[in-house]
Parts: sequence; C-alpha cells; structure tokens
Amino acid sequence: MSPWSALAGGFAGTLVLTTAVTAASQLRLTRMDLPFLLGTACTDDRNRARVIGYVLHFVAGLVFALAYYAAFLALGRADWVLGMLFGFVHALFAGTTLVNVLLPVVHPRMGTPLSAASSTPLLEPPGFMLLNYGRATPVVTILSHLAYGAIVGWFIGAAA
Amino acid sequence: MAATRSGRYVPLRDYAVIGDGRTVALVARSGSIDWLCLPNLDSPSVLGAVLDSGRGGRFTLHPHGPHDVQRRYLPDTNVLETTFTSATGVARVTDALTLPGAGLGPLRELARRVEGLAGRVPFRWRVEPRFGYGSAPVRLQMREPYPVATSGNDAIAICAWDAGSSRSDGVGLGGDFEVREGGRATIALIAAHAEPLVFPSRAQTEARLEATGQFWSRWVSELTYDGAWRDAVVRSALALKLLVFAPSGAIAAAPTTSLPEAIGRTRNWDYRYSWIRDSSFTLNALLQLGRHAEARAYFWWFMHATRLTVPRLRVLYRLDGGTEATERTLPLDGYRGSRPVRIGNGAAGQLQLDAYGELLDAAFVYVRGGYRLDRDTGGDLARLADFVCAHWREPDAGIWEVRTTPRHHTQSKAMCWVALDRARRLADLGHLSARHAARWRAEAAAIRRFVDEHCWSARKGSYVWYAGGEELDASLLLLAIMRYDAPDSPRLRGTLEAVRRELGAGPLLRRYTGDDGLAGEEGAFVCCSFWLVEALAIAGRRKEAGALMDDLLHLANDVGLYSEEIEPRTGDFLGNFPQGLVHLALISAAVEMERQTT
Repeated sequence: MSPWSALAGGFAGTLVLTTAVTAASQLRLTRMDLPFLLGTACTDDRNRARVIGYVLHFVAGLVFALAYYAAFLALGRADWVLGMLFGFVHALFAGTTLVNVLLPVVHPRMGTPLSAASSTPLLEPPGFMLLNYGRATPVVTILSHLAYGAIVGWFIGAAA
Repeated sequence: MAATRSGRYVPLRDYAVIGDGRTVALVARSGSIDWLCLPNLDSPSVLGAVLDSGRGGRFTLHPHGPHDVQRRYLPDTNVLETTFTSATGVARVTDALTLPGAGLGPLRELARRVEGLAGRVPFRWRVEPRFGYGSAPVRLQMREPYPVATSGNDAIAICAWDAGSSRSDGVGLGGDFEVREGGRATIALIAAHAEPLVFPSRAQTEARLEATGQFWSRWVSELTYDGAWRDAVVRSALALKLLVFAPSGAIAAAPTTSLPEAIGRTRNWDYRYSWIRDSSFTLNALLQLGRHAEARAYFWWFMHATRLTVPRLRVLYRLDGGTEATERTLPLDGYRGSRPVRIGNGAAGQLQLDAYGELLDAAFVYVRGGYRLDRDTGGDLARLADFVCAHWREPDAGIWEVRTTPRHHTQSKAMCWVALDRARRLADLGHLSARHAARWRAEAAAIRRFVDEHCWSARKGSYVWYAGGEELDASLLLLAIMRYDAPDSPRLRGTLEAVRRELGAGPLLRRYTGDDGLAGEEGAFVCCSFWLVEALAIAGRRKEAGALMDDLLHLANDVGLYSEEIEPRTGDFLGNFPQGLVHLALISAAVEMERQTT
C-alpha cells in the first residue's frame, strides 16, 4: 500500500464518480452537479464555476482517497470490497452531513433552512440525502460512491 | 368597525399577511392568526383555523368585550399594526414574523407586541396548536421556562412577557392581562423543526421585531418605481416578497391551500407551489422594480428546477425544486364548508403549452435586463424551443388548467409562437445556438397561420378561447401584453372589446364563458382585470386604463391585498390569498402605464 496508489485511485475514482453523476443528470435522474455546487462557492459565473468546481472536486477526491488509505492502513488490508463499504459510508456522510449540512453553511451563494427574506441566495439547498435535486439522487449518490470506493480500494490493494 | 364573522369564519377580506421569507401567517382583523405552516410555507399547518374552525388551530389575541378595530401595515413594511379601541382604552398590537439577526435565535419566530395607548384594556390570548393540518397528535406541556407543544420532530413554545400567567386546558394554552397607557406586553410563538427549541429573551425578540420593520423599510427604499400608483405597487412588491421562498429563490403562487373559488364548492386548490407560467411576469416585475438580486435568484432557481425534466416542463414545481405534487384531500371542514381541502396539485402533470412561451420570454427578459446566459442554460432553452416545434399541434389544458378534454387553446398556441419568437431573438443575440433558428421561424409562421385560421371568430370580431369555439377567455389579453400582434392591430382591438363586453362584471373580468369541467360558478379573476388595464395602456388608451386601475385599487382589502378572485356582486374575496399573480399583474400594469406617459 502506498499513498501514490491512493492518489492514483482517487483520481480514477473521482473521474468515474463525476462521469456517473453527469450521466445521471443527462438521463434526467438528478439535478445534482457537484462541480457546479463547488465552483459556485467561488464565483457566480456559471461557466467559470464549472471549471473551478471540477478542479475542487478532483482535489476533494484525492483528499478522500488519502483518508481511505489511512483507514486501509489501520485495518491492515485493502481491496475493492472494503473500498465499496467505505464508499457506502462516504455516500451516507455526503448525503446526510457533508453536502446537506456543511456545504450550505460555508457556501456563500446557497440557501439554508435559516435563509430569510433578508437574504437572496442563488442556489437551492440540497436537502436531506440531496433529495431536493431529484428523487433518484440518493441512489445516484450511493452507486457513484460505491464505484469510487471500489476503484480506490482496488488501486491501493493492487499496489500492496 | 367591529370584526365580524360569517358563521365561525371571518371573511377572507379580513385577513392580512405577515411573513419572513420562509413561511407566512394570515392575521384576521379580530387578532386571530388562522393560518401558519411550519417550518416552511409548504409544510403542514400548525394554525389552520381558516380551513377548519374547529380542528385547525389558531392564535387569538384580542381585548375583552366590545371593541373597534383599525389596522394598517407600518409604512413600507410587512409589519402589521392593529389598533383596538374599547370603552376603557386603546391598545395597539404589532405582529410580525421576525427575521433572524446576529447571534443564536429561534428557527422561526412570530412576535406579537401589545402596547397601551390610552386608558386600560384587558386582553385575552390563546394558542391552540394543531400540527399536521390538525391531524397529528400534540403533546402540550407546561415546562419551564415556557410552555411547549410538540409533535414528532416539530415543536413550538410560547414565550409571554407581561401577558399574564400561561394556563393550559390540555387542548390549548393562554392567559389574561391588562395593558395600561404606556404599558407593554409581548408574546412570541417560536418554532423548531428537527432541532431543539431556542428560547429568546424578551429583549432579543423585541429587538428582532424592530429590526424586521427596518429591514422591510430598507428593502422598499431600494425599489425603483416612483409613479402614480406607488402605494399599490409597493404593497404588491411587499406581498410578492413574502411569497419568495428564501432558501431556494422559488416564488409560491400563494401561501394558502384550498381557500375556495366558490363557497361550498369543490374549486379548492393548493397554490403553495411555483408555477413556471408566472416566470415571465415575475422576472419582469422584479427587474422593473430594480430588485435584481431576487430576479437573478429566481432565474437560477427555475432554470435549475426544470433541468430534471427539460425539454418537457412540469406545470409547477415544489419550492425546494422537487416535482412531486401528488394531490390528496385532508379530513378538514374547509373554509365555510368548502370541501375537499386539497394538498398537492393534480395540475402538475398536465400539458400546458403556454408555459414554454412564458419561460422563454422570461429568459429574454433576463437577457434584456443585462444578464448573460451560460452555455448549458442556452442549450436547455434551445431544446425547449425544439420541443415546442414538435408539440405545438397538440391540444392542452391551457392557462386555466381546465379539467375537460384537452383543447387547442388560442392563448397556448400564441405562447408557443412567443416561445419560438424569443428563441430566435436570443439566437440572434448570440445567447442560443442558431442551428435550429430556421426551423423555429418556420414553425412560428405555421402557428400564426393556425391561430389566424382556426382561433378567430368573424362573428364576434375576436380571437376565441379555443380553436373552433365561440367562447371567449380573458387570457387572450396576454396576446397584447406579449406583443403577439402590433398593439393597434384590428384583431387585438376587436379581442379587447369583445373580452370587455362578454366577460366584464363592473371593473372586473371573469376568466371565461363555457364549460371548464367543474361544477359551480366562480368569481371574477382579479389578475385578468389588471391585464385589461395593461392591454388598454398598450393600445394607447391610457385614460381608460387609469380609470379602470383606480376602480380596481378600490377593490383591494383595507391593507391593499387581493385574493385570487372577487365575487362581483358582493365584493367578497374568493380563492387563495394573497395571490402572487394578481399583484404581479398590478405591478406590470402600473409600470406599463408609467412607460406610456414618459
């Protein structure tokens, strides 16, 4: 196991995750767009937001891969099955806490349940399990994170 | 004049509205708050006496014994002031849903301040919370420091200062107190959802109440309209702002459900959704009033909300952007026995082709307002235009969402023409790909031919409600407002006259003549009358337009608000209240008349 394999897995996993969510969006299963959500924290220009968002999303993907790596190290084993399990927990964390609670708090252009008439946010908040972005969004989130976890787990395990 | 009740229900005209950008409360002249959904305006009601006087729940606050009532909004605010005059004194109640300030505060807070102005006035207050539209179990406890009512993961507390000691009888709680000249009492209903209650201090609540009034005054001071109808426009803008759901930027059609279009009948609908149809009116109004922040947030919201279904549009979306709006009925009596009480809206799944024209016109208005469209948005708009090309020949439910067999509605066809016209113009400006512009132009011409040949009655000298029919409908006025034809075209002039002649009821207009698939008659549809004002102004008949505008302004209630409909014979309000489309139409008409004079 090496951190380089984790970073490689993180890159490949984020690529697949982003592609899967984008594909789901094109198939009208969800309105979730992670690069857009992240990028609009930096700019209100939609086109630039997507570019910045992709960069931020890949950075986040690499950071999470290192966290997976630390967990694999602690458990003393790494494979795609365990990676999928991490991916499942990761998806639940993202849907219930990370994107649902923490992102609206730090995002300057996103509404929160506390937004009142005195504020005019530009982005609707994701809601619990990101359900505001479509009823299939939790399924898309979980499946894409399972793929991410499996890829990161496979890369780290294969390099062991 | 003393507050009057019709049976156990007050006239809808007696209500004023307060709100905070998340939820809204209806306050009767009598001092009773009869509608409040928590935590959001599309959540289940906690106070719902307007829909069921017995089971709905209410928050009353009024003097003992006979008294007169006068009320107003504090100038340029959504803070309501009700003055009670009794034989023994005068007292003023100030009501507001407060806006959050710095520091930890309640999730939602409804503040009611009582001030003694003269003599002494004995008051009584009582809160009967009924969660879940009156159907969820409620646990009422006299806890310290404040009494609390809970139901599932919802809770409210009543914080009363100098308002007598709170007593509970198991179904409600309340108290008695006397306010003397110079004295003051404050009661706050605070709410929590899926989190612990946050109890405010009296000073914090009163400071928020003051700050809320200051916020609204500041907001109004930034409006750019300063024309002849300033008071009505400002009140309409303030009412509209209360319908903006701040967390997402969506705008609800009205904050209520199932206030009847005909007393005792079944025309009762849930309007706590955002209709795509209103997008063009809304953006126009917000930009014309200089409210760019809200306009931008709204545009972002509806372009994001519609992404799930583009190129097909849903008629309406939930305020959180969702599409689920399953209609069901509640076991409530309904306002003055008007059942069923519905939540959800079955119109969501209808095909209403005019919405495409409204949305593309909204995008055009947005661009004209100085904004750019990004590539994805431009792509979505182009697909909408392509969808119109493929589907404009289909019959639809039309702007009035009739529940008869779909028809070829004239206004829907004209709005399809508007959709393609605006798409082509956006392409000319470089905001949309011009790849399909030739097709858009050709289909627009085909629509015009269809309307000319099938939707015109030579006998009436007017466009008609639907192809092949002879009935009229007031939405035909939108053909003038959307510049479907030149303002002085004989066909539009003829239509305007025919609509006035056949649908007019005093200064008001009914929506249509003919069958709409529902039993019973409804009142006059108020927004149509303001459309008539605007159409007259566009046609250069400004004097007539101004006179009609004055007549219509006299039909508002005592605080300048309108419901969806007015019964022409009695002046009674009908339908959901206050209705955003009426206030949008008022703003639009006032701005157009101002434009005609400059």
